[in-house]
Amino acid sequence: MRTFYLALKYLAVLLWSAFVIFPFLWMISTSFKTANSVTAGAKWLPWLQFEPSLAGWQSLFGGVGGINILKPYANSAIVTLSGSAIALVLGTLAAYGLSRFTFKAGPLGNGDITFFFISQRIMPPIVLAIPFFLMLRFLGLLDTLPGLILIYVAMLMPIAVWVMVDFFNSVPRGLDEMAWMDGCTPVTTFLRVILPNALPGLVVASMFCLIFGWNDFFFAFTMTFTEVQLLPVSLVALNSSVTPWWSLSAAAIVSVAPLAVLAFVVERFLSRGGLAGAVR
Amino acid sequence: MAEIILENLAHAYAPGAPYALKPLHMTWRNGGTYALLGPSGCGKSTMLNIISGLLRPSEGRVLFDGQDVTALDTGKRNVAQVFQVPVIYKSMTVGENLGFPLVCRGASPQKIKARVETVAERLGLTQWLKRPANALTADMKQLVSLGRGLVREDVAAILLDEPLTVIDPQLKFDLRRILKEINEEFRVTMVLVTHDQTEALTFAEEIVVMNHGEVVQMGSPTELFERPATEHVGWFIGSPAMNFLPALREADRIVVPGTGLSVPVTGPLPQGELKIGFRPEHATLAPTGGHIEGRVARIWFEGSDEVIGIDRGAHRVKVRASGTSPARTGEPVTVSVPGDRLSVFVNGKRLSSG
Repeated sequence: MRTFYLALKYLAVLLWSAFVIFPFLWMISTSFKTANSVTAGAKWLPWLQFEPSLAGWQSLFGGVGGINILKPYANSAIVTLSGSAIALVLGTLAAYGLSRFTFKAGPLGNGDITFFFISQRIMPPIVLAIPFFLMLRFLGLLDTLPGLILIYVAMLMPIAVWVMVDFFNSVPRGLDEMAWMDGCTPVTTFLRVILPNALPGLVVASMFCLIFGWNDFFFAFTMTFTEVQLLPVSLVALNSSVTPWWSLSAAAIVSVAPLAVLAFVVERFLSRGGLAGAVR
Repeated sequence: MAEIILENLAHAYAPGAPYALKPLHMTWRNGGTYALLGPSGCGKSTMLNIISGLLRPSEGRVLFDGQDVTALDTGKRNVAQVFQVPVIYKSMTVGENLGFPLVCRGASPQKIKARVETVAERLGLTQWLKRPANALTADMKQLVSLGRGLVREDVAAILLDEPLTVIDPQLKFDLRRILKEINEEFRVTMVLVTHDQTEALTFAEEIVVMNHGEVVQMGSPTELFERPATEHVGWFIGSPAMNFLPALREADRIVVPGTGLSVPVTGPLPQGELKIGFRPEHATLAPTGGHIEGRVARIWFEGSDEVIGIDRGAHRVKVRASGTSPARTGEPVTVSVPGDRLSVFVNGKRLSSG
């Protein structure tokens, strides 16, 4: 009976894995196809079922009718990484303050301040487009990397605050008090005692920040013209009247790769017991 | 290590609010063991937090070795505290946990290593030093907390805030013994907060009994037992609790009507309810000829002793006798109490001459 259930379990996992992996397989095989093999129906095995071609991949690196993905890729990496890093540092500090100190502004308290942060994310981004555009123009930062980084800090910090407040709240206050007694200053208490305990939260927050930053198209599109291009915007240029599925597939693989690696690393970290220990 | 003086100390959590800790003045000797004993919410944790600096008192001063530390931050006071729920740095190993107070104070790595090893050996944690602290059991986590205090040679005091609450009974006993030994070895001032009288009586040289934010009595276990300052202390300390019988004044004596119990008294008494109290341990049973006549209602055991509950009218008198007594449930019996073991209480407060 037990083996039966085990078999059933593995079957379910197998089916689910196939369901999840299938689009990726399709994407990979399509990226090596030409127009003819794409329209010829479901074909999977290169050389046997269709003649593989590197045209799709070449169009990403300055090939005919394509783009050069390297510059936008680097830009995206710079903007996402620095935006996330700044948002995480500021957001974590703000979250610690909101978790440990009581703020009062008339009838408003800590909860309202936290909600104010997250309310930035409740608004549809289009509402922010015009003010952001005007602000960046005033600063002379339109169509520049620092300008984009600034926008992303503003968009990502609410996520960091929201996630980290929760994690800091779950770290018992007794830990702070004990650290004070052990002779820590408030700064060392935060850095050496509280932050390591909230590390799983930091991982979750940075994951969210990196994903949101990397995937954003809207601000990357509205705040730039010609000088600076981010990956999602540059990929749009691949499209034409005849959809080049092979180029788009290759582009999709390239742009999803860092996130897949990230997910893999984070999954390993989280399952290693970081979270398990934090929740007790 | 330090002598701690609480000078005219009082605390209210908000201006105008009732005192959480009523005004008090006391001195705690360097290297002594003290217990703050009282029910939950009696102000003992408030007092502890004031000493550790987590709380600023609204009145009075805290002095460590004559130096005013009232305005000093917790970190600068050099006190250690073991909390009710084990608190450890989960992200560190046991060794790193023990060494952390020295790291915070900027000690050299060699010194930290030496101290950590000494303390770990004393507490029996040597084999665990490299393990993650999170993997320890609750009682070992409390030992680590204690170790973080001991690792500082100059620690002013170790404050124990009901550290044994979450510990298994058998381990509780061991831990209490370790605490006592540590105190004798390191001569460090230790303050134990507890609501368990056995814990307080076995651990501390002096016990501070608190109730409703007030220090009711401070004294050695014997003093609290022999001369409880109030009816409350009589109830709280000792098992079973002290016997109290309503009394009247008759000329120059205070008597319990219908019994042979009486205490001589001179001069005027404060107005109020009179009671005579005595310890179950000080009373003896006799078939006839005792001060109080009654009927045995119940007999139960406390350790090797027998406690006999005797009903006399609406009151039950308890007598504690070593070994088994000839008393039988339902039979009439008499209780004798030596006159010098009787105390008179007026409105719940002990009459000093009684």
